Amino acid sequence: MASAVMPKPAASPTGVRRARGSTLALHVVIAVICVFTVFPFLWMFSTAFKPADEVFTQDLRLIANNPTWRNFPDAFDYFPVAHWLWNSFGIAVITTAGKIAISLPAAFAFARLRFRGDKLLFAMVLATMIVPGIVTVVPNYILISDLGWMNSWIAVIVPSLPATAFFVFLLRQNILQLPQDLLDAARIDGASTVKLLTQIVMPNIKPAIAVVTILAFLGMWNQYLWPLLVLNDFESKTLATGMQFFTNNAESAQMWGPMMATATIATLPPLLLYLLAQRQIIDTFVTSGLKG
Amino acid sequence: MAITSQHHSAARGDRQVAEKRAWTWYRLTEGLTPYLLVAPLLILIAIFIYWPLVYSMYLSFFDWNFVRPDKEFVGFGNFTRLPDDPRFIRALWGTLFYTVTLVPLQVFLPLGLALMLWPIRKSRLQDSYRAMLFSPTIIAYSVAAVMWLWIFNPNHGVLNKVLVEFGFDRVRWLSDRDTAIWAIVIVATWKTLGFHMLLYLAALEGVPKDYIEAAQLDGANNWQIMRSIRFPLITPTFFFVLVTTVISVNDDVFGAINVLTDGGPFDSTTNIIYYLYQQGFQFFQIGAASAVAVIVFVATCLLTWVQFKFVERHVHYG
Repeated sequence: MASAVMPKPAASPTGVRRARGSTLALHVVIAVICVFTVFPFLWMFSTAFKPADEVFTQDLRLIANNPTWRNFPDAFDYFPVAHWLWNSFGIAVITTAGKIAISLPAAFAFARLRFRGDKLLFAMVLATMIVPGIVTVVPNYILISDLGWMNSWIAVIVPSLPATAFFVFLLRQNILQLPQDLLDAARIDGASTVKLLTQIVMPNIKPAIAVVTILAFLGMWNQYLWPLLVLNDFESKTLATGMQFFTNNAESAQMWGPMMATATIATLPPLLLYLLAQRQIIDTFVTSGLKG
Repeated sequence: MAITSQHHSAARGDRQVAEKRAWTWYRLTEGLTPYLLVAPLLILIAIFIYWPLVYSMYLSFFDWNFVRPDKEFVGFGNFTRLPDDPRFIRALWGTLFYTVTLVPLQVFLPLGLALMLWPIRKSRLQDSYRAMLFSPTIIAYSVAAVMWLWIFNPNHGVLNKVLVEFGFDRVRWLSDRDTAIWAIVIVATWKTLGFHMLLYLAALEGVPKDYIEAAQLDGANNWQIMRSIRFPLITPTFFFVLVTTVISVNDDVFGAINVLTDGGPFDSTTNIIYYLYQQGFQFFQIGAASAVAVIVFVATCLLTWVQFKFVERHVHYG
């Protein structure tokens, strides 16, 4: 059947030239947009390394004439930035571990075990996704204040733990995809349910656990409203919530160098995490975006 | 003989009882295990998400300021008094403004960008482009806002420096009630551009190659393929982005409002979420804040329901 073999439409030289031209145009447009999106970062880095007198000059200079590290120690001297950094790390790491510790067993139970009320309970977990965070803020603030937890890590960590519905969903999807034979074989060997989870399921869904770890860490590192409310002591703040102190008094509001140095410190962990695991993070965000 | 046999059977009986007991114990613990596995999560959800919802509704019927020991019952007073507060009306306008400006910007701009990146996806620069466009997504909103605070600074900010360079007048970006809300719109657009673009790109990658090849065999050109095959097949993603943007856009800008303008100047940048925050934590009007919380929750539920219905009817999964 000769007619089944379709000749490819021959590209005319002008067609090729036009295609190259439009490709170039796309590159130019996208490059311009990229410059606009990264510019705030560049300007932040740039200012963080400028001496005070260069910050306030009229000329637009990306790289300082006399680059300096001074802004970093200045920021640490003026505000308890070291405390904020430590708080950000501690809270993010503990909350991430806690979120995995509660969502992984639940995801496993909802994926592989049958028990009375399982569907209803799972629906109750998923339904929390549509509750806007702001709605629960006042009662939770009263509760944390009554418990005397104000200004402590625990005040941020514990109420943040249950915001894991999406992680439960993601982990459950991954556990559902494991072959039933794998679990049956372990069952026949007499493995208990808990062993099934720790020795069969967990080693087999490591990529999904990595994804949840990255998302949970970023989410907690960047968390704003809740720590803003319950961390009122100067030294109890996180980086994301402490930074606003720079703008609170007339002197530090003009300390743009140290302010941008602090902002640089706050953006570095997410950016480094991104550079280390670019593929993983992009895939993570794409999957998380498609949760609907 | 008889004695030994009796002894034997007694021993067997003991073992059976022991085995039965162990089995019952095993059954019991195994039967409880699922509940033990879900308990920590469900208890925390009950305490910190569901109970606050109920308690908000309760608080919305009282006049209270956090400190006073007694709450005064006012019925629906907190709800009926809201329209009398000009700041509440400003907040509703702000909510509408953010929705009307940011939804198209956050839904269509990234779509256009994705469609421009798609034809050059094989380019060596593709990963760098994506990394640069995506970087604003992974940093904190509040930190992003501080970066922009410096850019918008009226005296030394780079934006005004550029304007002056080109012969324009300085703009008081954040302290002028006509421009402040636009400044926040710019930051919010910048923050989500790369994220939504990635979702669209992932959807474009998911379009089966057979469809495209079949269309090419039939002589369809690139534009026809985009319009008749690619776009219809990415509509689920399009609607997903639309739905989540509509629902979360006013929540998302909280950090930007808080750092850049604190709702001002003259409440020109506030929205319903920010109004709730100020009522609760700046003016300590717990009743009013709770009433707004109830309204926001009901509105979110309604929006989610409407969008589900709409998407069900209009989106075809490929």
